[in-house]
Amino acid sequence: MIVFAAALPFSSTSRAADELVAAVGTHGGEPEAGFDPINGWADGTEPLIQSTLFKRDNTSLVNDLATNYSVSSGGLTWTVKIRDDVKFTDGVPLTAKDVAFTFNKTANGSSGMDLSMIESIKALDNTTIQFKLNDPQSTFIYKLAGLGIVPEHAYNNETYGQKPVGSGPYKFVQWDKGQQLILERNDEYYGKKPYFKKITILFMEEDAAFAAARSGRVDIAEIPVSLANQTVNGMKIISLDSIDARGISFPMQPDVGKKTEDNYTIGNNVTSDAAIRKALNVGIERQVLIDGALNGQGTEEFTGVDRLPFGNKEATFEDGNTDEAKKILSSGGWKDTDGDGILEKNGLKAEFTLTYPSNDQTRQALAVSVAEQAGKIGIKINVEGKSWDEIDVSAYSTPNVWGYGSIDPTDMYLRYYSVRSGSGEWSKYNNVIFYNNSAVDNNLRKAMTSFNQNTSNKYWGAAAWDGTTGYSQKGDAAWLWIATLKYVYIVDDSLDIGTPGLQPHGADIFNNIYEWKRTHQNS
Amino acid sequence: MKHEKLLRFTRREKLLGFAGKKTLKLISLLIGVCLASFWLVEQSPVDPVRAYIGEMSVTPEKQAQLEEYWGVNKPPQEKFLNWAGNILKGDFGISLIYRIPVIDVIKERFTASLILMATSWLISGILGFILGIIAGMRKGTWIDKVIKTYCYTLAATPTFWLALIFLMVFSVYLGWFPIGLSVPIGVTAGNVTFLDWLHHLILPALTLSLLGVAKIAMFTREKLTEVLSSDYVLFANARGEKGLNLVLRHGIRNVALPAVTLQFLGFSELFGGAVLVEQVFSYPGIGQAAVEAGLRSDVPLLLGIVLVSALFVFFGNTIADVIYEFVDPRIKQEEAAS
Repeated sequence: MIVFAAALPFSSTSRAADELVAAVGTHGGEPEAGFDPINGWADGTEPLIQSTLFKRDNTSLVNDLATNYSVSSGGLTWTVKIRDDVKFTDGVPLTAKDVAFTFNKTANGSSGMDLSMIESIKALDNTTIQFKLNDPQSTFIYKLAGLGIVPEHAYNNETYGQKPVGSGPYKFVQWDKGQQLILERNDEYYGKKPYFKKITILFMEEDAAFAAARSGRVDIAEIPVSLANQTVNGMKIISLDSIDARGISFPMQPDVGKKTEDNYTIGNNVTSDAAIRKALNVGIERQVLIDGALNGQGTEEFTGVDRLPFGNKEATFEDGNTDEAKKILSSGGWKDTDGDGILEKNGLKAEFTLTYPSNDQTRQALAVSVAEQAGKIGIKINVEGKSWDEIDVSAYSTPNVWGYGSIDPTDMYLRYYSVRSGSGEWSKYNNVIFYNNSAVDNNLRKAMTSFNQNTSNKYWGAAAWDGTTGYSQKGDAAWLWIATLKYVYIVDDSLDIGTPGLQPHGADIFNNIYEWKRTHQNS
Repeated sequence: MKHEKLLRFTRREKLLGFAGKKTLKLISLLIGVCLASFWLVEQSPVDPVRAYIGEMSVTPEKQAQLEEYWGVNKPPQEKFLNWAGNILKGDFGISLIYRIPVIDVIKERFTASLILMATSWLISGILGFILGIIAGMRKGTWIDKVIKTYCYTLAATPTFWLALIFLMVFSVYLGWFPIGLSVPIGVTAGNVTFLDWLHHLILPALTLSLLGVAKIAMFTREKLTEVLSSDYVLFANARGEKGLNLVLRHGIRNVALPAVTLQFLGFSELFGGAVLVEQVFSYPGIGQAAVEAGLRSDVPLLLGIVLVSALFVFFGNTIADVIYEFVDPRIKQEEAAS
């Protein structure tokens, strides 16, 4: 096929200094339904094309469209005031009516955003929106931050996502489905204007993105942690800290033949023993797991929310202490009587299966390394990769490696709050371990219904450990939290991306786009 | 005069009969294919709600809302009859993942795939035919052996593997071709030139056509050998016709039609190959959409794609049949004889 050896004429790949090409898996890749927040675009991340009421600044929220908000004393009425100087890119002013329209549409739609706590939404005047809730939830502020505002006058459910109009820092230019999104700076933007005039976001797998970066066609690409030690001429590799934690769920109930509504087994006789859970938490050396399984790209994690404002420093502990772990096990009645290196208790072996989603290599590596270390304290773990559909069946009786990381504590609430299968208030995707501690429930509920940030954070922290009990290792050790990932990017030497905040699960790389700039022309 | 009329009449009869049979076949095929694919999707263990939310935490209210949207608790027969009723009215429904009409998704994606498939279909047909003729003419020589080896090797090569090799060699190491996609990076539609477009098409089309070459080349070689040892070629030889001239006058004529027929019968392999090639080259065609629809239980989209691809393959086979039936009945007789 030497026929094609002659260089073909094609458009030059060199870019102007203020044009950016990114191959990043932000927002979980390409949104199939297009760039329509009502259909799930940029749920809780920077939508670029639209503006949100509040936006994420590291792990807290700051005003964006909103100028202030107030909550009634019962927590059921939220009133948000917005700026009066914002226009959509088609020149029409953005008013409270557009906000009400966006939230109403989403609440009645079928995107992943849960707005079931909303009773009614009203635009009181051009700059005031009133939300009435059916349940006082302090976390409602995160819903307000998570949704880009669409123009009521230019919204059609089927076409908007293909050609969106918004009021964000960038304007939509073109979407080549399955390939790329082209954006252009919105020069009428009311906020801090970004340096880059044009952004092209490529939708590629991580390995393809790395290949594209190596061939000099991309300014920034998200790459797998396994490539973190590569060197590429003219580019640097950076790791961004995240709040994206990996942890193992321990089914808390013994297996007494109980089933869920879908007829899946509940409980596990080994992990329901507190000594097993505590010993693993204390005995595992997290840093070793990070250096091995994560290629060094991670930080130790003890409660799943260590770095968040609602985390609890008191709940962290010393790990990698095998002597302590063995002591916990033996005082819990676990002994190795037959000399095979695996402990038993009343004829039951300290052995269980650990699943991980089979398409996730990072989680596979973590699972295998945890099993290896558990063997040293006499616990045998059999590792198995499964599809999500199989995990959904086995998770009630079998530990699994999960990933969570959101600045919205609702995640945590749904993970530990005890609701029972069959009670009608249980979703099969939450609290799969059937954790049930009334003191923790109490703290979670208080946190959910306290509208003072500090008070609320105090209760969230108390759910992990309140001095006597909690879900963390010092209390029930309901989970084995292992590590918080780092997100690895390969970046052109001439690109400065400022100081990105802690990345949430799935990353939000464009959150600080207005800080990005080109420092020198690349040679 | 009378006799002529009669002949015309029977011809029309034959044509009508043929068309009628084909139409019946098509309708039963489409019904069968739809039922089978629908049954498969229903049997699939994939939970579309989980596939949609990933690891997000969801309240029970939200879960109920999502289950309703994805039709989790609807009885399958109701789902199917609804869908079938709408199809008869010409409404393919709305894709659950893309949230736009299925027909629009298929139009967009199928166009891209069709260009890819048509290009490789032509290249593989022409190249395969030429190679087959050369091998047949020079039977037993080194060039024949080279062509044969090439064909056998290709016949055993997995499509996606060849695609990956090409991508690594031509795009990453040599940098001659783009890293996938069907358009240049960051160029607005109005500024994409025909050359840009061609440049992105070459590698995927090449991969797909190189694999299609083998079958057609071996078939042509076989046919040509047969023709060259026939009585009329011997006779022509005796008259002093020789070499290329002889092959052109007597060989090609008799080999071309069966080869074209075979090429039309290869629509299904072409389609299957395209799906794999598209995945490797991030080429936005029907293959990508089909994989998404299957993995995420997007029933309307999957059935829509199944219908269109069944039509596509059926169309190829029908053309082959027409050639059999009306253009060159001898092929059929030969098939029956062998």
